[in-house]
Amino acid sequence: MTKLSPVKLALGTVGLAVGIVGVLALREATLSTHEEVDARQVELVVAASSAGGEPGQTLGEMVEAQLLTCRLEVTSDLAGPIEDLGDGRFRAVFEPAMDETNRRQFCGCVEDFVIDHLQVNVVEFNELD
Amino acid sequence: MKTIAWLAGLGTLLAGAFYMVVSLNRWEWNRALFFGLIVLIAEIALATGLVLRRLARLEHSLKGPADSDVVQILRETRPTRDRFAWMRESTGQLNVFITFLVGGGVLLSGIAWVVDRVASKTSSPAGEERLARQLYPISYPSGGLLLDDITVLAQDVPGADDGQIRQLLRRGGRP
Repeated sequence: MTKLSPVKLALGTVGLAVGIVGVLALREATLSTHEEVDARQVELVVAASSAGGEPGQTLGEMVEAQLLTCRLEVTSDLAGPIEDLGDGRFRAVFEPAMDETNRRQFCGCVEDFVIDHLQVNVVEFNELD
Repeated sequence: MKTIAWLAGLGTLLAGAFYMVVSLNRWEWNRALFFGLIVLIAEIALATGLVLRRLARLEHSLKGPADSDVVQILRETRPTRDRFAWMRESTGQLNVFITFLVGGGVLLSGIAWVVDRVASKTSSPAGEERLARQLYPISYPSGGLLLDDITVLAQDVPGADDGQIRQLLRRGGRP
């Protein structure tokens, strides 16, 4: 059996430690931990753009489809219609309010590749009393 | 070129892995899957490249270096090839003539076959009927151009009326 040099051993140890820490950090970042929230509703404002989409589909319809799909991943529902603020911006109110995990999950879904040819970015995500 | 390819593969792998972790951290699963696929493709490409490089080294080391003396001898004893000997004139051989003759025959046969096929398409049943209608006005009389005595005498019988025969009789000087 060949002997490992100290440098290689140290590098291997550091690499292993970095890998373990990285996996643990990723686990912590993607772990669902739900908690009670004081607010009753949350307000979401998004900026949306579409490129190469179907001619018959409006940007509002695509944003609505994206939000309705993503709200299935959390415990909140739409409380009212989605408002078109103009310039590709839309506002929606969800009830009940979301905790930190749900907020991150919902924002990730909204900004993810869910509907083809649609890019949505979260501009504001505020709690409403 | 190889260095560029290796760097491109490595860069793709690292960038894909970085964005995959970032997407996972942001809960963007579809993006994470996409970048994971990119990482997988780059990883397979790099692994295949490494294996092929190792195999090439192994093959090269097994073969060993070429003996320069042997190479020199092989080069000196290489037979000279006259690639255009067949074009040289020769009384005892018909090589070029036969080649052109056979080739020309094949070519002409092909052209003749094409002409025959095209010509056969120009004649159709409808065309033949149209030609027959066009030829009818200049066709011979049904009874021929010569009149015998019986036919001539038969024209004097009351009620006999053959337009073609009367026309022939007029040409012959009879009323």
